[in-house]
Amino acid sequence: MRKLFASVNVKDQALERPVKRAKLARILWLSLPVCGVFLAALALGSLGWTPENVYGQSSAAAGKEIPRTADGKPDFNGIYEWPKALSGEMCKCSATIFDKTRFPPLKPGGEPFFEPRTGDPRHDEPRDFCMPAGFPAGMLSANALQISQTKNYMVIVHEFQRMTRIIPLDGRPHREGLEPTYYGDSVGHWEGDTLVVDTTEFKRWQLDDYFYTNPKEYRMHSDAFHTIERMRWKDPTTVAYQITIDDPKIFTTSWSQDFEMKAKPDWDKAGLYEYVCEENNRCPGGKCQGQ
Amino acid sequence: MRLRAFFLSAVILSGAIPAMAHHSFTAEFDESKPVKMTGTVTKVEWQNPHIWFFVDVKGDDGRVTNWGFAGGAPGQLMRRGIPRDSIKPGMTVIVEGFRAKDGSNNASGGKVTFPDGRSVFTAGSEDQVPKAK
Repeated sequence: MRKLFASVNVKDQALERPVKRAKLARILWLSLPVCGVFLAALALGSLGWTPENVYGQSSAAAGKEIPRTADGKPDFNGIYEWPKALSGEMCKCSATIFDKTRFPPLKPGGEPFFEPRTGDPRHDEPRDFCMPAGFPAGMLSANALQISQTKNYMVIVHEFQRMTRIIPLDGRPHREGLEPTYYGDSVGHWEGDTLVVDTTEFKRWQLDDYFYTNPKEYRMHSDAFHTIERMRWKDPTTVAYQITIDDPKIFTTSWSQDFEMKAKPDWDKAGLYEYVCEENNRCPGGKCQGQ
Repeated sequence: MRLRAFFLSAVILSGAIPAMAHHSFTAEFDESKPVKMTGTVTKVEWQNPHIWFFVDVKGDDGRVTNWGFAGGAPGQLMRRGIPRDSIKPGMTVIVEGFRAKDGSNNASGGKVTFPDGRSVFTAGSEDQVPKAK
């Protein structure tokens, strides 16, 4: 320092101190916003206001930490636990059911929401004869499911009854002229990082497994049933999964329920197990077959 | 080690009604008719939609009757860490469940206890099981 100042004349030395003070003041002034943000973050954090609960998704999901495909889309390839409800009544069964508190009023004069019991087990509980669960009940069954995703397709295979849904993602419209189906006709598209799957062309069938809890309340959807599913990574191991129900023959308005699916990479080694219901269905309709 | 998790499930869920995966419990079994039997395993069917195992049970009169018991789906049980050889022919077991609605010698078999006190939860449900009434 001495050597440096040696080359500076007296006049310059007189100017040195004000210049230093100005630099220091400028550094402090410029650092104020940084300090402010830091202090504000501390204050908000102490109040529990984190980016996750303010914006409804984690900072990881908003950034690049979620799985992504080579073209930058969220990558849902993998094996998952079945969708679990975030709230609502538990079923006297092993499946997830819809929360009745979310149901809008039934449409006056509409189709019956609860299928009357007739005493015929083939009518009262077709699943006991290995008939399909259909969508969305099958999707909510308590088994693993696997998702295979390419640029143009998503395939969802659920272990229960080996339910298979092939969902085009290439922008095509719904197929026309289909007979109504148990699992519907699905097409998907991306809205940012959310995959939106629109499904129509259902036959009248069970909505969920609530009849396990109360056989007299066998919830049915109509043949006007229409669903919209929304999938997005909530965090790097959890998929937020929402189903919107639009059934104008039964409900006065559409309604939605939120679920979560946990990624289970450790289940991938064993993969999905086979499920052929007809193999050994010993007591269909409550009548057990011989040993 | 896998069996340890299996037995822990039994401790947590003992006394529960086994929930069935592909049909409602009441479609086939009678909640008002609990059964508890001791006998020797004669056959195991590790198949869908539910495993079945058969047990020779000796009655008070000395007569032996073969009973069938239904459990969960093989996939559900295996993913829970319950291997297919958990129950084998020749084993002596105590089985607790509910009798078939048709009155036949069949029942749900949600809980199996071995002579050394170890219990196995063989029902289909995982964590959403109602308590027995």
